[in-house]
Amino acid sequence: MSLITMQHVVKSYTMGDEHLVVLKDVNLTVEAGEFLAIMGPSGSGKSTMMNIMGLLDTFDSGLYQLRDTDVTHLSDNERAHVRNKEIGFVFQSFNLMPRMTLLENVALPMVYAGIGRRERQDRAAAALTQVGLGDRLDHQPNEISGGQMQRVAIARAIVNRPAVIMADEPTGNLDSKTSVEIIRIFQELNAAGTTVVMVTHEPDIAQYTKRIISFRDGIIQTDQVLDQPHKAGVEE
Amino acid sequence: MTVIESFKMAIEAITANKMRSFLTMLGIIIGIAAVIAILAIGNGATTKITGTFNDLGATTISLSVSNKAGNDAQLTAADLQAIKQADDRVTAVSPNYTLSGFAATNTQDQQAIIFGGTPDLQYTSTMMDSTITAGRYFTQADYAESAPVAVISADGAAQLFPNQRNVVGQTITLRSRTTSISVRLIGETQSTVDKYQGAVRRSSFPVYVAIPYSTMKLLSINAGGITDVTMKVRSRNDITSVSQSTVRLLETRHDVVGEQLYTARNFLSALDQVDSVLGLFVNFIAAVAAIALIVGGIGVMNIMLVSVTERTREIGTRKALGATTRDILIQFLLEAVILSLIGGLIGLTLGIAVAEIVANVLGITARITWQAILLVLLFASAVGVFFGLYPARKAAKLNPIEALRYE
Ligand SMILES: Nc1ncnc2c1ncn2[C@@H]1O[C@H](COP(=O)(O)OP(=O)(O)OP(=O)(O)O)[C@@H](O)[C@H]1O
Ligand SMILES: [Mg+2]
Repeated sequence: MSLITMQHVVKSYTMGDEHLVVLKDVNLTVEAGEFLAIMGPSGSGKSTMMNIMGLLDTFDSGLYQLRDTDVTHLSDNERAHVRNKEIGFVFQSFNLMPRMTLLENVALPMVYAGIGRRERQDRAAAALTQVGLGDRLDHQPNEISGGQMQRVAIARAIVNRPAVIMADEPTGNLDSKTSVEIIRIFQELNAAGTTVVMVTHEPDIAQYTKRIISFRDGIIQTDQVLDQPHKAGVEE
Repeated sequence: MTVIESFKMAIEAITANKMRSFLTMLGIIIGIAAVIAILAIGNGATTKITGTFNDLGATTISLSVSNKAGNDAQLTAADLQAIKQADDRVTAVSPNYTLSGFAATNTQDQQAIIFGGTPDLQYTSTMMDSTITAGRYFTQADYAESAPVAVISADGAAQLFPNQRNVVGQTITLRSRTTSISVRLIGETQSTVDKYQGAVRRSSFPVYVAIPYSTMKLLSINAGGITDVTMKVRSRNDITSVSQSTVRLLETRHDVVGEQLYTARNFLSALDQVDSVLGLFVNFIAAVAAIALIVGGIGVMNIMLVSVTERTREIGTRKALGATTRDILIQFLLEAVILSLIGGLIGLTLGIAVAEIVANVLGITARITWQAILLVLLFASAVGVFFGLYPARKAAKLNPIEALRYE
């Protein structure tokens, strides 16, 4: 049983009398344990695809199965619950809550999961330690660097132990050295069993993943498995 | 998500923008302060007035004769006796004749209020404190022979005899516009001016004197007929029924049944009048307060709409992390309610302070009941819910992708 199965997914936008088909009959299967990069030129539908995979967005027709559940026709509320439990988001611009401490930020998904305070604190602290920020629990987001902020966001994404991490250009706002540090965390998480799907513009970043699919005009043009992914942290 | 979590988030959002939050609360602060102050002062005034009525006249009935009454319908001394004998709930009946004149000694000449009645006047007088502190009140014998005797209020005695402790046995002259008589002081009562507790100025307070009604006739030709009678009943529960039966008795005695020549008033009817005047005043101010609260509520709605717009990305992120529509709705609704409630609490404090100051100036005691406090806090919360609902729904219904993309 695959983790993600998408069949004949179509997504379009209508603006005025202009009808724009953004995803044209997309088929994709992702197995548990994969590290997938989504590439392609701007406007080719990468973010749209990821939002649909992350159950943030709906689509016109087709079928989406997550684990063994058909999630094609869920209500808003049900999608919120699935997002909370099964999906960890990492955004390009981090999206941390500015007035919360790092610990509170990471604990937030567990608040919506209805987990008790003690367990939230323990698990949030553990997640922050896992991304190397165990000594910054009580700091505010404006007191740390961009790379550190993205680590906090990753801690937040993994804290509810999701089936898959969805990262839309997670290194888009970071310099190349910091980017590799972030990728290394993804590789570590992936090695420990977490499935990661990542949108990226940068070919050299994509080289750190295990599989690259490439979008063009709303269809998957190439789908390539990397025999020897780069290993982050090992200088070439 | 638990209520405690939503509560914490709301408090954080409010304290993040303290000045803005405070300005937003201002309308509610003023509205609630006005409401609580009015309630406290209104309650205090009512208590004070009711208390005064209780002190002076809870068991007092005032009888009066209409000026349409013919000679046959005028009240007589026999009527008064009949009223007293007809009902053992009636403890005292006296004419209540009041004359404005002067009281003089060899050295002093002061304005005076002269009360004329039967010996029962000691118990029916509501204006003069009749508690004897020296000597005695006038008796039936004094009344029967129109004795030239008088009872004087202690403050009046002090005015007429500034250097004398005991005035019983002294003679003073009472003067009306037409004549004057000399009377011997046979008793002194407790100071009347003290009963008014600073509501009047002590130095200009007239000399209060009580004399037999028969003696009063020597002083004033108008004192012929009895037009005003005050009676006392045993308990305040008897007031209504004794009022009715007395009027019926008089109508029967004078054969004028149904002509409505006699009126019996008591403190209950007077209280009704006070209540309706007070009610009008309270309603007016309450309307002003309601407008302030509505303006305050619109302020809350406005700032919440701004807040929702500012925090669009935050809302999108929360939704991505698993917040449901309901979670977001509760978060923003709670923020509006807490904002209003804090405004309410500040308003409450301010209102109590204002009430205390105003009450102090008016010489009454502000009465703040826990019902009033509960009422205004509920009211503030209701304003928060009502005006917070629209912004909260707007936040809850945001599309997560559009919210996340919002710059
Ligand atoms: N809400 C929307 N309404 C109309 N058109 C939209 C909307 N969202 C996306 N699109 C269009 O869909 C297409 C795909 O957008 P998408 O964001 O998926 O591109 P992308 O591959 O992520 O591009 P980029 O690399 O610039 O992020 C674009 O042409 C975009 O203009
Ligand atoms: Mg994109």
